[in-house]
Amino acid sequence: MNLQIALLLGQDGIVNGAIYALLALALVLVFAVTRVIYIPQGEFVSYGALTLAAFQTGRTPGTLWFLLAAGAVVAAIDIVIAVRAGALGRIGRIVLWNLALPAIVAGLVFWLESDKLPLAIQVVLTLAIVVPLGPMVYRLAFQPVAEASVLVLLIVSVAVHTAMVGLGLLFFGAEGSRTPPFSEAQFQLGGLVVNGQTLWVLGASAVLIVALYVFFERTLYGKALRATAINRVGARLMGISSTMAGKLSFTLAAGIGAFSGILIAPITTIYYDTGFLIGLKGFVAGIIGGLASYPLAAAGAILVGLLESFSSFWASAFKEVIVFTLIIPVLLWRSLTSHHVEEEE
Amino acid sequence: MRTKTLFAALLSAGAVSLAHADITVGVTVSATGPAASLGIPEKNTVALMPATIGGEKVNYIVLDDGSDTTTAVKNVRKLTSEDKVDIILGSSTTPVSLAMIDPVAEAQTPMISMAAGAAIVEPVDAKKHWVFKTPQNDLQMATAIVEHMNNHGIKSVAFIGFADAYGEGWWQQFSKVAEARKIKVVANERYARTDTSVTGQVLKMMSANPDAVLVAGAGTPSALPQKALKEKGYKGVMYQTHGVANNDFLRVCGKDCEGTYLPAGPVLVAAQLPDSNPVKKSALEYINKYEKAHGPGSVSTFGAHGWDSGVLLAHAAPVALKKAKPGTKEFRAALRDALEGLKEVYGAHGVFSMSPTDHLGLDQRARVMVKIENGKWVLQK
Amino acid sequence: MRQRLPLLVFLALLVLGPAILPEFYITLLNYIGLYAIVTLGLVLLTGVGGLMSFGQAAFVGLGAYTTAYLSTAHAVSPWLALLVGLAITAVVALFLGFLTLRLSGHYLPLGTIAWGISLYFLFGNLDFLGGHTGLTSIPVLGLFGYELNTGREFYYLIWAVLLAAVLATQSLLDSREGRAIRALKGGSLMAESMGVNTARSKTVIFLIAALFACVSGWLYAHLQRFVNPTPFGLHIGIEYLFMAVVGGVVHVWGAIVGAGVITVLKQWLQDLLPRLLGQSGNFEAIVFGILMIFVLQRMRDGIWPLLLRLVPVKAARRREIAQAEPLPQRQLPAIGTLLLEVKGASKHFGGLIANNNMDLTVKAGEVMALIGPNGAGKSTMFNCISGVDPVTSGEVRFLGERVDHLRSREIARRGMGRTFQHVRLLPTMSVLENVALGAHLRGSKGVLAASLHLERAEEARLLAEARRQLERVGLGDCLFDEAGSLPLGQQRVLEIARALCVDPCLLLLDEPAAGLRYMEKQALADLLRKLRGEGMGILLVEHDMDFVMGLADRVVVMEFGEKISEGLPEEVQRDPVVLEAYLGGVE
Repeated sequence: MNLQIALLLGQDGIVNGAIYALLALALVLVFAVTRVIYIPQGEFVSYGALTLAAFQTGRTPGTLWFLLAAGAVVAAIDIVIAVRAGALGRIGRIVLWNLALPAIVAGLVFWLESDKLPLAIQVVLTLAIVVPLGPMVYRLAFQPVAEASVLVLLIVSVAVHTAMVGLGLLFFGAEGSRTPPFSEAQFQLGGLVVNGQTLWVLGASAVLIVALYVFFERTLYGKALRATAINRVGARLMGISSTMAGKLSFTLAAGIGAFSGILIAPITTIYYDTGFLIGLKGFVAGIIGGLASYPLAAAGAILVGLLESFSSFWASAFKEVIVFTLIIPVLLWRSLTSHHVEEEE
Repeated sequence: MRTKTLFAALLSAGAVSLAHADITVGVTVSATGPAASLGIPEKNTVALMPATIGGEKVNYIVLDDGSDTTTAVKNVRKLTSEDKVDIILGSSTTPVSLAMIDPVAEAQTPMISMAAGAAIVEPVDAKKHWVFKTPQNDLQMATAIVEHMNNHGIKSVAFIGFADAYGEGWWQQFSKVAEARKIKVVANERYARTDTSVTGQVLKMMSANPDAVLVAGAGTPSALPQKALKEKGYKGVMYQTHGVANNDFLRVCGKDCEGTYLPAGPVLVAAQLPDSNPVKKSALEYINKYEKAHGPGSVSTFGAHGWDSGVLLAHAAPVALKKAKPGTKEFRAALRDALEGLKEVYGAHGVFSMSPTDHLGLDQRARVMVKIENGKWVLQK
Repeated sequence: MRQRLPLLVFLALLVLGPAILPEFYITLLNYIGLYAIVTLGLVLLTGVGGLMSFGQAAFVGLGAYTTAYLSTAHAVSPWLALLVGLAITAVVALFLGFLTLRLSGHYLPLGTIAWGISLYFLFGNLDFLGGHTGLTSIPVLGLFGYELNTGREFYYLIWAVLLAAVLATQSLLDSREGRAIRALKGGSLMAESMGVNTARSKTVIFLIAALFACVSGWLYAHLQRFVNPTPFGLHIGIEYLFMAVVGGVVHVWGAIVGAGVITVLKQWLQDLLPRLLGQSGNFEAIVFGILMIFVLQRMRDGIWPLLLRLVPVKAARRREIAQAEPLPQRQLPAIGTLLLEVKGASKHFGGLIANNNMDLTVKAGEVMALIGPNGAGKSTMFNCISGVDPVTSGEVRFLGERVDHLRSREIARRGMGRTFQHVRLLPTMSVLENVALGAHLRGSKGVLAASLHLERAEEARLLAEARRQLERVGLGDCLFDEAGSLPLGQQRVLEIARALCVDPCLLLLDEPAAGLRYMEKQALADLLRKLRGEGMGILLVEHDMDFVMGLADRVVVMEFGEKISEGLPEEVQRDPVVLEAYLGGVE
């Protein structure tokens, strides 16, 4: 190995790490607020990338039907509940979010010829389809069991993952897709060729992380989420609905997932089942951060990315063996340093 | 309760249709899981297979094994014990097909695999007595590549394959042939189907500076190493395996795959074959049928392996029908014997001539070299 | 006898099964059995012990690959290969357990994912194990010279193994070691204070779960006669956890229910969906996922508890406690002997000083009360003394021996029993068993004896002791109630009985009278006086001043982590510093 190769591997590791970092942030957020270990996070990556790819080949993405169907089911359930509770005033909002908005998105998709649109509009349409799926998934799968144990929530999460991967196969087929890069530019950087898309990934990740930071520090909703993460009961007493917090965190997670997918689709091929492994690496990073610390999770993500890229150079057949074996001492170290006396219930 | 009655009604409906059926064909393919890109076209192809053979109605029972050996064995046991099938077609990958050998031999039911590994049918022993397969052996394809390399002055090659049975099978066959034919293999790398980056492997291969690189993968995932190589400025010759031969690969790989060579079954370039080639007609028949059902450009060579298993069945069943009634042990044995006795049967991938020691029966007519030019598969003469 | 009826019916059905069921049902039952063996391990590990593992499939792989390799490459007898497999699994499990069981919280499940994936890829990359392609021609299993060729023959072996495992697990859980294992879920702090070596208990269940998985893998290899890595990957590992939760993760029989329901459901979907929705799509996974979400939403404790309700026979709550020879008792030190001496003890949490330079003594046959306003550091002092959270500096002597750096279970062994300010008990366990946990150190029979129920004599003595202590504290009427169903005040009293079961000479009671009614307080005070009369030393933290002053021989008052006064109750009550602390603190 020479310096040139080391630099290239480092670059590769950091780019992958940036994506893992985004997913890790989403996972930490979802866990902190709802205690759900969100295995389907990866599916949003695939859905995002493959929905965009479908637009570019002029097909109607299957996720659109999913959105319409899920919206209809959520609306039906919530309207029944609202009618039973006599809270008819809620119905307007339920219809708006779960029926009207998906219908508008569907109308736009059919009206516009999606393959001729500029990339930016396609991206917006993609996000408009995939992101609302987040809160709908929360409403349908997790809200009814919100108070259950972490183990039950995890198993529900696995079930959602199974269903979403199955749907992904149905919507997009077994073969993968790529999308054209946001920028074709290439830069020379001290003997290192850097692609425009690489910079896009790094830049967008950084912007997103800063945006999340501002969201959590400066906005009311962000603070509400943080409060819920720290003390669920306390937050509820302060009038922060845990349902609202759950939906909001799932919306953010879906947005981060879909956007990550859109970011990496130009540099790699995305399949209906790509999400699981990417999500898993994000999960690893999140755990290194103790599912609590955002900066540590991001650092963990970069570490995982670098480990992967260097081990694929040294012994590619044993890549996962190396990555996951080396994770264990890191976990040990984290576990010992973050020693905590048992909480009083 | 309602679901129970519905279930019972459906079961009895199934039972009624079975009672009228004459030949029952069990199919297990990997329509989900990692090998779904193989299993789905195979599953689609089953729908195109003949509805009657030798005047007898044929019932197809298609099951998905999710690329999982346990499920496949469960499927085989279900098909043989519950549905009393006369023959089993499948499955899509080598490990899954290997796992099925024991249960089919136990049930004395012939099986035609759609997976490439030579170990599925070689050597023909007491158990593999019952097992046939349609895809060309990896060895046959690897030899084609090595010959092509020899003819084009390539002295060193780097290998990158799937970290699964496909990549492993290719590595074993290819490294053997390459060594025998004096081509130096300078790197042996692996990557997973859903990996998002192969930069490490690509840099390793490039640092060995090979004349050519062979990518052993199936479907669109094979594009990743090639695109990464091009991006890092690799200028050597690129080879792929017949596993990539579908149009999705061309769509994903785009201009980065221009000039790539690969061995393939003739079905991939059927229209370009000379009319004198006996495979042309049978291959085009399949392509037309498939594309009529699933749209132009949708055909893949994997589906064609499934088709060939149907072709073998269609030729063997009439012979067996003369000896015994379907649904009996005797019929299954007769069907097996008939399969082994097939000679000069034209399929989509070549001409099958079976023998007691050869349960594949393909010859040199089952492979052609293809080059990707202008985003199309072009037959090399 | 009536309670055993469902079990006997089940056994009869199992035995008759192969005679009446069609071939394919036997196949399914075989797989259900194999899965249930692994899931059973997970019930023990995850459901009972609270340790989540995604990696069980890797242990299944170890068992399967060991026998596959040895019996094909070296023609070793499968039975010998089983022993080798168990040995290898035990070594690997002990090593992995050593590494990962010390991981706390969420690090543990991730640790299991990590080695689960590593082992999976290792199977796929080792040439002598057949790589990703796998190993074929694994020989048929022979039993007493008889070959298990068909699924029907194999069926009996699988279910015999499974039933043996279920019964052994049940026996284990219903024993001294089992109580220690069940106590893990309540947090290691309480269990350690009762003398349980929680690290050992964790290792034990991890090992048992791994060995079960290994046996399942061994059976799998010889049933399938082919192995490759796919059945041992992370996805399958998650699926085992899935089965456990769907069946009912804290119930031993839930393992069989979970494995059964999931296997049969998948089979139904495979049969049913193509008929409903056509052959073209692959809807099984989708419908399966959605159904499972629905099932978990309706029954988050799994299916087994629901089935239990359908069975007409009430589960045996009450049972006989055999008359047993009382356990040997510690010779209490003579009244007036110095039991506990705390000198210059300080405890810092980062910059926060919780205790500063505390001095304290307790003698045999006296009640020493530690009082002070909220946040004065009394409970911290308790934790320092009992070894739960050791002192930063200073010394703690118990019976003349320095104990400040001993673990809490070592201190308990020396004769110190304690209760907790916030009640720590296992709410779903019976009152009797909760208290019997206190007697953990007074038994010695191990896991193997417990699994085979060879320790019934000792167990009877332990339970009799627990009952004796419960009767002593006035809870003799609710031995078989769930501990969590008691009112809070009585739960505190239960903790006293549990502490007494330790057979202590020094009792540390943290607010024992809180939540008790007047009459109950009187009874408690009488009990404590009686204990004192027998020569027990009692260190008491309490806010009820009437209670304290009527009972205590000496009083120490703390404020802001320091001792501000010490003396006889009436002296302390008159001490202006104390009055200032209690009354003057109000601004």
